[in-house]
Amino acid sequence: MLEIFQYDFMRRAFVVGILLAVIIPCIGIIVVFKRLSLIGDALSHTSLAGVAIGLLLGINPILGAMAASLAAAFSIEAIRKKIPRYSELSIAIVLSVGVGLAGVLSGFVKNSANFNSFLFGSIVAISDFETALVIGISILVFLGFILLYKELFYIAFDEQAAALSGVPVRLVNTIFTILTAVTVSVASRTVGALVVSSLMVVPVASGMLLAKSYKQTVIGSVICAVISTVIGLFISYYSGTKPGGTIVLTGVALFLLALLAQKISRAAQARRRKGAANGQS
Amino acid sequence: MHTCAIEVKDLSFGYSDALVLDRVSFRVNKGDFAAVIGSNGTGKSTMIKLLLGLLSPSKGEIFLMGGALSTFKQFSKIGYIPQNSGSSAGTFPATAEEIVMSSLYPQVGFMRIPGKKHRKIVADALEKVGMTAHAKSLISELSGGQQQRVMLARVLVNDPEILLLDEPTVGIDTAAVASLMEILHRLNIEKNVTILMVTHDLSVVAPYLNRVLCLSDHNFAEDELPEGVIIHAHAGTHVHAHEHVHCAACEHPHNDAECSVCSHLHEKGGES
Repeated sequence: MLEIFQYDFMRRAFVVGILLAVIIPCIGIIVVFKRLSLIGDALSHTSLAGVAIGLLLGINPILGAMAASLAAAFSIEAIRKKIPRYSELSIAIVLSVGVGLAGVLSGFVKNSANFNSFLFGSIVAISDFETALVIGISILVFLGFILLYKELFYIAFDEQAAALSGVPVRLVNTIFTILTAVTVSVASRTVGALVVSSLMVVPVASGMLLAKSYKQTVIGSVICAVISTVIGLFISYYSGTKPGGTIVLTGVALFLLALLAQKISRAAQARRRKGAANGQS
Repeated sequence: MHTCAIEVKDLSFGYSDALVLDRVSFRVNKGDFAAVIGSNGTGKSTMIKLLLGLLSPSKGEIFLMGGALSTFKQFSKIGYIPQNSGSSAGTFPATAEEIVMSSLYPQVGFMRIPGKKHRKIVADALEKVGMTAHAKSLISELSGGQQQRVMLARVLVNDPEILLLDEPTVGIDTAAVASLMEILHRLNIEKNVTILMVTHDLSVVAPYLNRVLCLSDHNFAEDELPEGVIIHAHAGTHVHAHEHVHCAACEHPHNDAECSVCSHLHEKGGES
């Protein structure tokens, strides 16, 4: 067995990391296609305010993060309905409230090391309770995504047409909002509040470059996220870098590789077309 | 006797203080192929959104397929293609097949997975619009005209009785417009689908129409119709709907038994 897998905390980090790498892009793909890419930032930053409240009140900070993240998600939806033409403003407003609250409340937290662990995560130092929470939430989010696959696709593609076709848009959006909020809050603890949004968007960007359909984009995004998590954890273990940041940087490197692969594939296609045209003439 | 597909009575609507539609009344019969024309800002697209219940009128009544809009539930039987729907869909990373499948929701149901039967319906709809070869193509890889045909296939999967199209010919080339109009013409003739189309290209679509509704000064009026269109005004209190009798090739009404093109289309429809 590789040395890295001899340690219980590393085995646990791989299990938790891979589970999150499966569910975060599932949420991310809908977020990206609804043109709400910054929602991950808004929710994760607000979850930091929940962490501070949790630490101040002596309750589990993840539960505090979850409550704050849910409140932020529903606030974004509510503001979005009030100003539909500038929906991205709703995210900016909630993001500002989250950052402001987290900044102010963190000043009152005595154990600043505990609070700081939520900024960049601590995937190698999570408790049994947190592992169980990640497993439970991963099953919930994955099932929710699969069961609502076509409804989420339809709403992301054309919300108005989905509503006219009888899709219960409000119900589906509410379920999705809850799934997003709980995913972001558990991911904040493990990979870090400052990097969770990147995990939501970067693998989807890589998946989109390589895929030839929506289904392939979903599968490709999950594969990219799992690969960057596994490679990121290996690099982090052997080089002593922080796991959250390393995973995200590995994801960005994969995106650049995907971009290169797409360029090479397009150039080859263009050459083939040119060759075929010359052959005909 | 004509059965009424769409009936609008004394309808008014405004955004804030600006009145867009003022006491508009008209009817479109089942099997009509009608165009709504008029200058920019006269409320053509607003009218379509009111018919779908996406906007609420400040006054007046709307009836679809004989029922009041307020209690109307069969929206799956109304196919709607919004303005620029093809180009706005163009950036979404999905295939033509996936996009058409999504519209089959009323038949598949909540939290259900589409089956073989549903895939067949999607394949048939793509065939009807001549897009079978592009079923697996990303929508972003298709031309404007092809994207618009995919949008049409989306609404066809639910066997619509009424099609509401908002400027479907905008941004596509002449050949693609002709192809789209031919598909719509066949649907109108062979399936008796009622079509109401907002358009600025009356000269292009006129040969296929049997009714033109001209919106002017927030109401329907007789003016602004191009020369050469044969018009019979059907005036109500506030309405002037115009019928003209043309066929794509032979200048007869579409359903005229003596029209060779119409008879030909009927025969082809019977064969298939």
